[in-house]
Amino acid sequence: MNHFKLLLLATLSICAILNSFMEVHAADEKDQFFKDHVALILEKNCLECHNGNDPQGGLSLETKAVAFTGGESGEVIKPGDVDESLLIDYVTGPDPEMPKKGKPLTKKEISLLEKWIEQGANWPDQLTLMEPHLKKSNWWSFKPLKQIKTPVLSSGNQKKVTTPIDAFLLHRLQKEGLSFSGEADRRTLIRRLYFDLIGLPPSPEEIQDFVSDENPQAYSKLVEKLLASERYGERWARHWLDTVHYADTHGYDKDKLRHHAWPYRDYVIRSFNQDKKYSDFVMEQLAGDVIAPGDPTGIAAIGFIVTGPFDWVGHIEISEDLIEKKITRNLDRDDMVSVAINTFQSVTVQCARCHNHKFDPIMQEDYYHQQAIFSAIDRADRLYDADPVVAKKRIAWTKKKTEFVASKKKLEDQINQRTNGRLSQLSAEIQELSSGKMGQSEAFGYHSQIETSDKIKKWVQLDLGKPVSVKEVILVPAYDDYNNIGKGFGFPVRYTVEASNDPKFKTNVIILSNHVEKDEKNPGTSVVAIQTNGKPFRYLRMTATKLAPRNNDFIFAMGEMKIINPEGINIAKRAIVTSLDSIESAPRWAKKNLVDGQYYSFSSEEAKQRLQKRSQERELLYQKTVTREEKSLLTKLSDQIVKVESQLKSLPPQQPVFTAVTDFKSQGNFKSTKGIPRPIFLLHRGSEGHPIKEIGPAGLQLVDGLPSDFQLKKNHSEGERRLALAKWIVDKNNSLTWRSIVNRVWQFHFGQGIVDTPNDFGRMGALPSHSELLDYLAINFRDQGQSMKDLHRMILLSTAYRQASTHNEKAAAIDGNNQLLWRMNRRKLDAESIRDSVLQVTGKLNLKMYGPGYHLFEIEKPQHSPHYLYEKYDPNTKASHRRTIYRFVVRSVPDPFMDSLDCANPSQTVPKRMQTLTALQALSLLNDKFMISMSSNFATRLQGENKNLDGQIKHAFQLALGRAPSAEEQDLLVTIAKNHGLKNACRLLLNTNEFMFVD
Amino acid sequence: MRNMNRREFLWNSGGGLGGIALASLLQQESLLSAPNQVAPKQTTGVLHHPAKAKRVIQLFMSGAASQCDTFDYKPKLIQDHGNQWDPGEEVKLFQSSPGKTLKSPWKWKQYGESGKWINECVAPLGDCVDDIAFVHNMVSKSNVHGPATFMQATGFILPGFPGAGSWVSYALGSMTDNLPTFVVIPDPRGFAPNGPANWSAAFLPAEHQGTLIRPNAKNPISNLFPQNAGFISNKSEKAVLEALKKINRKHEETRQGDSRLDARIRSYELAAKMQLSAPDVLDLSKETKQTLKLYGLDSTKFEVADEINERSEINYFGRNCLIARRLLEKGVRFIQIWSGADNAHPRRNWDSHEDIKRDHWPLGRGMSIGTAALLKDLKQRGMLDDTLVLWTTEFGRMPCSQGSKGRDHNPFVFTNWLAGGGIKGGTTYGNSDEWSYKPEDPDSPTYCYDIHATILHQLGIDHKKLVLRNNGIDRRLTDVHGHVIHDLIS
Repeated sequence: MNHFKLLLLATLSICAILNSFMEVHAADEKDQFFKDHVALILEKNCLECHNGNDPQGGLSLETKAVAFTGGESGEVIKPGDVDESLLIDYVTGPDPEMPKKGKPLTKKEISLLEKWIEQGANWPDQLTLMEPHLKKSNWWSFKPLKQIKTPVLSSGNQKKVTTPIDAFLLHRLQKEGLSFSGEADRRTLIRRLYFDLIGLPPSPEEIQDFVSDENPQAYSKLVEKLLASERYGERWARHWLDTVHYADTHGYDKDKLRHHAWPYRDYVIRSFNQDKKYSDFVMEQLAGDVIAPGDPTGIAAIGFIVTGPFDWVGHIEISEDLIEKKITRNLDRDDMVSVAINTFQSVTVQCARCHNHKFDPIMQEDYYHQQAIFSAIDRADRLYDADPVVAKKRIAWTKKKTEFVASKKKLEDQINQRTNGRLSQLSAEIQELSSGKMGQSEAFGYHSQIETSDKIKKWVQLDLGKPVSVKEVILVPAYDDYNNIGKGFGFPVRYTVEASNDPKFKTNVIILSNHVEKDEKNPGTSVVAIQTNGKPFRYLRMTATKLAPRNNDFIFAMGEMKIINPEGINIAKRAIVTSLDSIESAPRWAKKNLVDGQYYSFSSEEAKQRLQKRSQERELLYQKTVTREEKSLLTKLSDQIVKVESQLKSLPPQQPVFTAVTDFKSQGNFKSTKGIPRPIFLLHRGSEGHPIKEIGPAGLQLVDGLPSDFQLKKNHSEGERRLALAKWIVDKNNSLTWRSIVNRVWQFHFGQGIVDTPNDFGRMGALPSHSELLDYLAINFRDQGQSMKDLHRMILLSTAYRQASTHNEKAAAIDGNNQLLWRMNRRKLDAESIRDSVLQVTGKLNLKMYGPGYHLFEIEKPQHSPHYLYEKYDPNTKASHRRTIYRFVVRSVPDPFMDSLDCANPSQTVPKRMQTLTALQALSLLNDKFMISMSSNFATRLQGENKNLDGQIKHAFQLALGRAPSAEEQDLLVTIAKNHGLKNACRLLLNTNEFMFVD
Repeated sequence: MRNMNRREFLWNSGGGLGGIALASLLQQESLLSAPNQVAPKQTTGVLHHPAKAKRVIQLFMSGAASQCDTFDYKPKLIQDHGNQWDPGEEVKLFQSSPGKTLKSPWKWKQYGESGKWINECVAPLGDCVDDIAFVHNMVSKSNVHGPATFMQATGFILPGFPGAGSWVSYALGSMTDNLPTFVVIPDPRGFAPNGPANWSAAFLPAEHQGTLIRPNAKNPISNLFPQNAGFISNKSEKAVLEALKKINRKHEETRQGDSRLDARIRSYELAAKMQLSAPDVLDLSKETKQTLKLYGLDSTKFEVADEINERSEINYFGRNCLIARRLLEKGVRFIQIWSGADNAHPRRNWDSHEDIKRDHWPLGRGMSIGTAALLKDLKQRGMLDDTLVLWTTEFGRMPCSQGSKGRDHNPFVFTNWLAGGGIKGGTTYGNSDEWSYKPEDPDSPTYCYDIHATILHQLGIDHKKLVLRNNGIDRRLTDVHGHVIHDLIS
C-alpha cells in the first residue's frame, strides 16, 4: 500500500467519523422535536383511544413499532409522505374524523405533525407514549405534605382559638365574614360527646354531675373519661368495620356462616382502645403474621385482607379447568386490592382492572401489581393460639422439637450412610406396609352417576377380549372421605356378579355371586373374593341392584376389580371397562381406574408377613451398625422429643380463625397455595381469557417522591410482598396515607369530611374544603406519635366542635351546607347507636365484650344455603342484649330492623353511611318486635324505680332524652299512659325526633 | 334547604315526594347527566325522553330455566335425540361431562299469527305469543348460580349493586305515597341464591330497595303492624301518633333550618297511609271468580309444600301474579316475582340437573298459567300498553343430557322475553344455534345490559345517563355496556 492510499483512507475515516457525529447530532435534534411536540400532541389527542390496552380500530400509538404497523385501515404514518399518511388525513379538513372525543387539532398542531412526517417521522426507539393523566399529574392529593403554619387571625377570632384547627377554620370563615356560633350548653355537650365517642347516651346522673361540675376543666375531663372507656373502641371500631365491609357470612349464592371472623372484629376494638400507633395498625392488618410470626394479634389482624365476600361455589365446587375458576380468583383478589388501597390510600385503584384508570394516574399494570401482592392469599379458617402466652410457648417448644428432630435425623443419616442406604429403604417400606394405605393414589376407581333414589340399577363390566379361564374374582371396595364415608365408599347394598360371553348379558349368563335378596353389610376395607368354576368367559359384570347411600343421594362405586387366572395373575388389568354410566371425574373417578391396580387396602396377609420380615432385617442391621454412644445419644434425643411433644400436647387446643391464609385444609376444589403466589397476568380488558403478560408486585406510581419499586429479592416469600406494601403505605412520604386517615376521623366527628369522598382523593373525588388544615392534621398526626386519641383530643377540645348546632340565617345564606363549620352539625343516630341506646335506656344493655357474635335470627337448613329467619328471633334473648357491634352480620339477608335504619351494607365498603328518613323506617321503629319488646321493658324498669306515674314519666324523659319534660309534655305522656298504658308512652318516647337526633 | 345540600335533602326525603321524580329533579341540577349535557326541558315524569312504559314486572325463574324445553324450538334435538352430542368443540360443563343429545320430553306446537313454536310445558302462554318478543341469544358472564343471578338482577356478577328495580325507583320515584315503589314477591319456599342482595338498594338510598311482600306469611309486609303487642290498639295507636307529632313539632320549633326533622315527622304520616292501603291490595277476596279462575286459582289459601308439585306451583305463581296486578293498579312501579328458591334438596327451583321432566313440568305449568293470566288481565284492563313484562332466568340449560334425564348449566345461551310497554309483540330477536347451545351469531350475543338498556329506554331513561357516583366510580345499571335493542320496540 502506498502512502497516498493510506492518506486517503485516513481522510475517509475521519470524514466518516465526522459524518456519523453530525448524524448523531441531527438524530438528537429529531428526538427532541418528537418529545417536545409530536409526543405531546399524540398523547393529548389520541392516546385515550389508541393505546396498547384497548386499541380502537386496532391502532395503538403507544410505541414506534405498533404505531408504524398501523391499524385495521392499514398504515397511518408514511415517513416523508404527508399526502399518503392517513394520520394527517384523519385530523385535517373542515370536519375532521379524529379525534372522536374532544376538539379538533389546531393548525399549529397539524403543521407540526406534517413537518414531523416530512422529515422522516422519527420516533425514538425506547419512547412509549401514554395518556397525559397517567403521567405524574398535578393533583392535590398526590403532592407531598407541606408544613403549614397556623394562620394569623383578627384579634377577636384569635380569642376563639382553643386548638390549632380553630385557627384554620376561623381563617376561612373570616374570609366570608363569618365566625363560630356560641358554645353549646353542657347538657348538649355531654350528649354530643357520649354519642360521638362511645355511641351511648349519658345516664341522668352523669348528666347531672357534668352540668353541675364547677371545674373549668370539666369538659376536658369528660373527654378523657370517655376516651379511656372501653365503650370507645366498640364505637369507633364500627366505623372501621364499615369501611372494610366486615361481615360474619360469606355472601354470594349460599351465604354460609363464617363462624370465626370475629377475632378480627375484636382486634379492631382492642386496637382503638389501646390507641395503637396508626402505622402499626396498618402494618398489622396487612402483614401482622410476617412482622411477628405466631403472634395471635397479627394473625387476627390480617383478617382485614379477607373481610369481603367469598364465592363458595366458585372456589370450592367449580373445577380447576373451567374459566369461571380464574374469574372467581380474579374477583376475589380484586376485593382484597380494593379494600386495602381504598381504605389506606383513598384512591379507586379497582377502576384500572379492565383498562387504564380514566381519571387518575393508575395504569392497568399498576393495578395488577396490587393483585400480585395478594396472589398467594385465600380466605379460610386456620388454627392459632388466641392466648399470646400459649402462642409463645407453642412457638418455643415447636422450635425445640424441630431442633431435636433435626439432630436425630442428622445422626440417623450418618448411620444410614454406613449401611449404603439400606436402613432407610427398610424403614420406608415398613412405614408403607404399616400405614395400611398401600395403593391408594389419586386414582380411586369407578363411580357411577349420582341418583336421588337407591332403586336405580347400575352395572359395570369388564371385557377380557376373549373367553379366558378364571380362578377367582376379587372385588376391592373404594375409599373416599367424602361425607366422612371413607371405607367401602359406594359399595352396593345389594348386587350380583355375573359372567357371560354375551356383552349384553342376555344369554349364557353364569351367576357368580348373588346378593339381591337382602341388604349386605358393607365390606369396608376387606376385599370380596368370589371363586369361579374355572369355566372360561369373556365378560364379567357387576350389577348394583340397590345403590349405596352417599349424601342424601345414591351411587355405585368400586376401587378395583381383579380377575385372577389359574396362574395367579390378575388379568383384569388389560380388560376394557364399560358401564351403564360413569361420573368420570378425573383424576379420582374414571372407568379405567377400576383396573389400574391402584386402590385402597389395609395390609393383606402377605403384607403382614413382609412387614415382619423387614422389621427383623432392620433390627439386625441396626444392632450391627450403630455404636453404643450413638445408641445412647439417639435414646436421649428420642426422650427429649417425647418430652417436648407431651409439653406441646399439654397446651390448650388451638382455635380456628378466619383470616388470610396460605396453608389450610383443602375443601373440594379449594386448595391452598402453600405460600407460592399464583401467577398474575395483565388481562386485556380484564378478561381471564386474554392474559397479556405476567406481572409482579409493586406499589402505585401515584405519590410524588415515593418510589413504587418494592426492591424485593428474587426468591422473596409471599409475606414479604405484603410487608413491602405495608411499609410503602406507612412511608413518611406517602401523603395519601396520612391525609386519608385524618380525614376519616374528622368526618366521623363532624358528619362530613374535609374531603367529602373519603375513599376517593382522585380527580373524581371531592376537593378538600380546607386543604391546609388537612395537611396540618396529617403532618401533626404522622409526626406526633400517630395517636388516634390525640387526634380526637385536638378535635374535641376545639371551639369548633363545642359550638351550638343552632341555625343562623346569615351564615346559612353564605354556606348552606355548613362546609365551613360556622355551627356544629346535628347528628342523626346511626342504626347501632339507636339499638344500643334503646337497650341502655330500658336497662337491658349487657356490656359483655368480645367473642363470637350473637344471632338476631334463627338458622334453618344450614347444610346447603342457610335460611336466616329474623322473624323467629326473640328480642328478649339475653345474649342479644349485648352491644350491636357484637351481632352476627349476615351478608345476603340483612337484619330488617338494622337495614331500615341505614346500617352499612357489608357487600360494599361503606366509608360514609347514607341517611334516609322513610316510611318503612318509621314502621320499623314503631312496630319492630325489638322496639315493642323494649317498650315493655322500659315500662317495667320505670315502674320498678318510681312509685307513681308522674315520677315514671319524668324518669323516662331523663333516661331517654337526658332532660326533664316540660309541663305540657308531662301532661301529654301521663294522659297517654293513663289511657293506654305506660308501655305506649315508652314506645312514643323511643320514637321521638329528640331521641334520634343529637344537637 | 339550609341544613343539608339539596342532593342530600332529596335523598333523605325522596320517599315522601310523591309523584315527583327524584332523579329528574337531580337531573335538572345536572347531577345525573354528564356535566356538559344540556338538560332537556323538564316536564314531571319525563326523565330523558318520553316514556312508553310506566311500570315493570320482572319474572325471575331461579335455578336456570331450560330454554330448549320452553321457548327455543330446535328440530335438530328431536332428530338427533339419543345420539352422541357433538357440537364440534370441546365442551366443559359445570357439573358433568356432556351426555347424549336430549330432546324435550314434551311436544312443540305453533301458536298465534306469528306461528311461534311453544313447548307443551308452557303451552298456556301460546295464547300470548303475539304480544311477546323473544330473545334467544342471551349470554351470561357466569356459569354459577350466585354471580349469574346477580348479573340478571343487578347487572354485575359481584355482590353490592342495586337491583334493576332500585335503579328505576331512584330514577323515576314513586307513583303513590301508599305503597313502596319497588316490590319483591319471593318464592314461598324461600329466597333464590344471594337472597335479598338481589334487590338491595346497595349504594342507592335505602328507600329504593325492594320491599318484600310475602303473601303466604302471617305478616306479608314486615313491621307494617306490630305483632303480638297486646298493649297496642287502634285507639292507642291514634293517640300515640298524635302525641308523637306534637312533641316532635315542639322539638322542631326550636331547631330551625333542619329539614330532616320535618321529613321525619312526615315519614310517620306516610307510614300510616301505607298501613291503610297495603292490606287491601293483598286481599284477593274482592276478585271475581272468573278472574281467580283465569289465574288458575280455585282457592287463595294453601299450604307451602316441600317438594315441587303442579297444583302448588299453579297456586303460588297464579296468586303472586294476581297480587302483582293489584299492586300495579295501586301505583307500584317495579315488581319482581320469583319462581324457585335456593339450590338445596329436594329441588325447589329450575335447576334440573337430575330430571327435567320431574321439575320443569310443574314449574312450567305454574309459571305459564299465572303469566298468561297476567298478560291477558293487564291487556283487558288496558294496562299492558304501559306495563313492561320481562321473563328471565340466570342462564340456560344444555341441549345434551346430564345423567339420562337432566340438563347441566348453559351460560352460553338462554332465553328472555319481553311483552307490553311498547314492546313489539310476535317477534323473535337473536337466534341460538341449531342446538340451542350458543348464539347463532357468536359475535353479537345479547347481554342483560341490552335488556336493561331497552327497559330503561321504554321508561324514558337513557341508561348511560342514569348514573350515581359511589366510592369515586360512576355506577350504572348497565355498567359500561348496553345497547337499546330497537328491533324489540314497536
